[in-house]
Amino acid sequence: MALDRSASAARLNREETRKNTEKKQAATEAVRARFHKEYYADYSLIFVLIFMLAFGLVMLFSTSSYQAGIDFDGDSTYYFRHQLLAVLLGVGAMFVVSMIPYRIYRGKIPMIVAYVVSLASVFLVLTPLGYTANGARRWFRLGAISVQPAEIAKLGMIIFLAAYINRVGKYAADRKFFWIILLIPLPVCAAVYGLTDNLSSAIIILGIALLMLFIAIPDYKRFFLILGVLALIAGLAVLVAWTTRDNPINYRFRRILIWLDPEAYASDRGFQTIQALYAIGSGGIFGKGLGQSMQKRFIPEAQNDMIFSIICEELGLFGAIAVIVMFVLIIWRLMIIATNAPDRFGALLVVGVMGHLAIQVILNIAVVTNVMPNTGITLPFISYGGSAVLLQMAEIGLCLSVARSIRVE
Amino acid sequence: MMPGRNQTPRNQEGAKKSKQFTYFMKRKLVVLFLMVVLCFIGLGARLIAIARENGEEYKRQVLSQQEYDSTTIPARRGEIRDRNGTVLAASERVYNVILDSKRVLQGEEKTPGVIDATVAALTKCFGVDANEIRRYLRDNPTSQYYKIAKKVPYDRIAPFEQLTDASGDSYDENVMGVWFENEYIRKYPNHSLACDVIGFTTSDSRGQYGLEEYYNQVLSGTPGREYGYLDDNSNLERTTIAPQDGNSIVTTIDGNVQTIIEKYLREFNEEYQNKARIGNGAQNIGCIIMEVDNGNILGMASYPDFDLNDPRDTQRLIGMARVDEKGKLLTNEYGRKTWEAITEETLPEIEADNELLYQNYNALWKNFCIVDTYEPGSVAKPFTVATGLESGSITGNEVYQCNGFLHVGDHDIKCHNTYGDGAVSVTRGIIISCNVAMMHIGQSIGSNVFTQFQKNFGFGLKTNIDLAGEARTVGLTYTADQMRPTDLATNTFGQGFNVDMIEMIAGFSSLINGGNMYEPHVVSKIINSSGATVEHIEPRVLRQTVSETTSARLIEMCNQVVSDPEGTGKTARPAGYMIGGKTGTAETLPRRNGEYVVSFMGYAPADDPQIAIYVVVDRPNAGLMGQQADAKYATRVVRKILTEVLPYLNFPMTEELSEKEQEELNELRAASVTTQQGITAEEENAEAENGESTEEGTTEGGDTGTTEVSPAEFAENARPVWKDFERDEEGYYINPTNGNRIDPDSGFEYGNDALDETQGQVAGVDANGNSIFEPLDNEVNWP
Repeated sequence: MALDRSASAARLNREETRKNTEKKQAATEAVRARFHKEYYADYSLIFVLIFMLAFGLVMLFSTSSYQAGIDFDGDSTYYFRHQLLAVLLGVGAMFVVSMIPYRIYRGKIPMIVAYVVSLASVFLVLTPLGYTANGARRWFRLGAISVQPAEIAKLGMIIFLAAYINRVGKYAADRKFFWIILLIPLPVCAAVYGLTDNLSSAIIILGIALLMLFIAIPDYKRFFLILGVLALIAGLAVLVAWTTRDNPINYRFRRILIWLDPEAYASDRGFQTIQALYAIGSGGIFGKGLGQSMQKRFIPEAQNDMIFSIICEELGLFGAIAVIVMFVLIIWRLMIIATNAPDRFGALLVVGVMGHLAIQVILNIAVVTNVMPNTGITLPFISYGGSAVLLQMAEIGLCLSVARSIRVE
Repeated sequence: MMPGRNQTPRNQEGAKKSKQFTYFMKRKLVVLFLMVVLCFIGLGARLIAIARENGEEYKRQVLSQQEYDSTTIPARRGEIRDRNGTVLAASERVYNVILDSKRVLQGEEKTPGVIDATVAALTKCFGVDANEIRRYLRDNPTSQYYKIAKKVPYDRIAPFEQLTDASGDSYDENVMGVWFENEYIRKYPNHSLACDVIGFTTSDSRGQYGLEEYYNQVLSGTPGREYGYLDDNSNLERTTIAPQDGNSIVTTIDGNVQTIIEKYLREFNEEYQNKARIGNGAQNIGCIIMEVDNGNILGMASYPDFDLNDPRDTQRLIGMARVDEKGKLLTNEYGRKTWEAITEETLPEIEADNELLYQNYNALWKNFCIVDTYEPGSVAKPFTVATGLESGSITGNEVYQCNGFLHVGDHDIKCHNTYGDGAVSVTRGIIISCNVAMMHIGQSIGSNVFTQFQKNFGFGLKTNIDLAGEARTVGLTYTADQMRPTDLATNTFGQGFNVDMIEMIAGFSSLINGGNMYEPHVVSKIINSSGATVEHIEPRVLRQTVSETTSARLIEMCNQVVSDPEGTGKTARPAGYMIGGKTGTAETLPRRNGEYVVSFMGYAPADDPQIAIYVVVDRPNAGLMGQQADAKYATRVVRKILTEVLPYLNFPMTEELSEKEQEELNELRAASVTTQQGITAEEENAEAENGESTEEGTTEGGDTGTTEVSPAEFAENARPVWKDFERDEEGYYINPTNGNRIDPDSGFEYGNDALDETQGQVAGVDANGNSIFEPLDNEVNWP
């Protein structure tokens, strides 16, 4: 809207100038108009994002200082410092990526590279670079930095899918390409799940693909069908889990059982869920105050997946809903960028990032509030995790790059 | 939002239509956005629902999980000491051993061997099972609080502390993750000594009964607190607010006097238990010794007693009269109390029912001396005489004619001696305990003055002694407007109103100390944990009850109760001393049930009273045919107690000792404890030597020179009528008119009660002796 108004104002001014022959003013207006045309940056997105990062760091410090003190012999700022570094690197990455014209990723070769890098990075965990923590081999080390390949895979698949769908064009709606687009990410998903035992990242990659495809083709029916089938499978899984709950062999359904009745597994995996619920419930409307959480000592990995529950406890419903509103704002700004993107590739890139963000935030909050089984999904920009923040910032940089090329007449 | 028309198909590589972000895509994007917003709204609703529905519960859960972080450090409860500093109750510090699995396992990660060293140390010092600790460490790796041993004394802690003391020789750096938690346990080094006075504490250190309850606030102190907080580096730091130990109390109780009292109460019980019926030697037997000039209680005890270190020992209940779930005595089908004793057989039945057990415990734990009320009987006679003298209603020189009864209202109220005591002066009325004389005095006094003086003496008022559970006696005496002539008549000799022991002895002390009514008290001093005196509790005079002259005259009369050959209290006199006092034999409700409360209230020395003693035997275990109505059950106990107490208190002997008495004393000195059988035997011999003591009649010439009754009048009574009666095979005289047995020693006619059913009115109590003030005890249906 703002662009629109200034553009028409510029037009009006030009006519006025012609009429009144006030050339000087006309020249000034023209310069101002050119300015607007050439430099467009989504400041509201950047502002919300920076606010979110700062807020995330504060909450991360509040949540992790206790655990850091125990894990690192009194170094209570350990997690905070590492995250701060990652955030600063991320801001740099965002800036750099936003300066690179996004169209260079559109070609055939970048597309293939993106796919191969996604897949290969996952396989890196099998090499001596691989690194195990908390019982899962999810990282590889590059010097002092440990990187989670699943995060690379997410970014890589967004670029790959945007390029591929753009390439397929309107044929994406054909049944053949529809399925191809849904199946192409599967090897990467399988690798992420199979090699790093990271089901949630695999689901997120599939979800991103589905959302991008949803935007790319005019059809609704097929998506409702897919949703219906997924819901049916989920329902069946719950049913099977519940009927075989006494069978100890059936431990794969454990997560579902814990989800259904966390208190019954309070001494086990249900502990985290229950403690998170305690934190949410005990926060009240305005919370116990920043740094006043009592639950951060009880919730395992509070600074990772469960940081939202600590936000609820310290800042109450008010703080929690404010965080949700901030995410909605970011997603809204991304939607605006996508809508105004100069071409479909750019729009699809932004849709991919937006889908990634939306899925991850929704799933994280759903897990914390025990709306769905615990899968271990982090909250973007806020949860502890260097590579995640770095790559999420890079994704935003990608969107800003698209925004930069929006042209205003 | 930017409308689609602003999109310019400018594509450097030659834009095609398909490469654009078309209108339908934008629409779908909006749909997607709305779906996302919808999801967020759903999650927001879920958050609100959690906070609303489970908020309170989760808040509690969160707080309950914090326990480890904020622990209470118990304060040491103050001591209770007797007047000589002997410790009657003290708290001893013990330790709980706490295992911190997390710390041990962390240590093991850094330096292997920590688990082995720690487990070995624990096993060695506290004797805990090594496998059990290892299992616990394995199963609960994150636990930081596990009590592996409870209430361990310090001497077992010390060796372990040496292992963890970095400066010590036996320091072992691999022992870690164990710490100690303080706790106190209450110890009563003298077990059952003064149990009713001291009371005990619950496991959470709350005082129950007696001093422990009354002075709970003083004794308990302020617990400290240890809590964790996060310092600047977010380390869990712990800080401690030190507990403030409780103050100690010094009592007026003399441990030795108390021991002597309890010895003879127990001896009485042993002598009479299971005599006439299964059960204790008496339903209750209580004794108070008090200093008359300041209200200090020197000793106070009642039987049955219990071990303060184990108050819930059910064996102690055996022999006591059983009560039901409401604390009432068992009754037969007519609503009369049956006094069924608890036996080995019925004990399991009581133990099975918690409420029942608690009520029976309550009967055991209560302090008879301040809790139970009863009709005092003849020990009230000095009060009646004091009232008459003090109010000017009588001069003290009156002589009344006793014909064995007095017609008051519509009733003939009898004297003990149905054949009459003849001419009875005021003094002789006290000496031989003549009801008729008292009734005459009462008529002179009138109900207004009589009730006023009862209040002055403290009847119907709490004494405010500093012990928990003192009975509320308001309403148990008559007011002037309620008092009918028969009530006044019976009140003069101690029937028809209820008192408790402490009330009686406090009032009696004022009669013999010159008229100063002191508030009885047990605690003389409160000292803090470092030994400094916090508070002195000074004797407190409440009011002047009688003048010094009246007091002096009463002492004179009461001395003769013991010294006069006719006196009813002769058997109370201890070897080597002269004392004064008054006996009491009170009928209980319902009348004519053969159950009596016998008592002796006295003082020593006779010429200058320093201490007062009051012994009450509530329903001695001696049959229902009138055998209970013998004040000697009480006087003998008084005699035994005073024989030991008076020398102990350094009162000089004033009387010559007979040979028997000398022997008795020597024996007592030789074996100051556990010669009960011997003492009893001596006692009986001594009594026999004293000659026939007479309670209601007299054998020798009665003129003692202290009354103004002419010798001729006494001559009439020189030989009591009953001495001429026939005797049965047991040696009792038989009253030919009603067949009652008459005691050959005292002339007491068993079953010849002063009161019959119609005269059985007692203030505030129904005909069965159930107080109408206690709702619990008020459900009896009188057939």
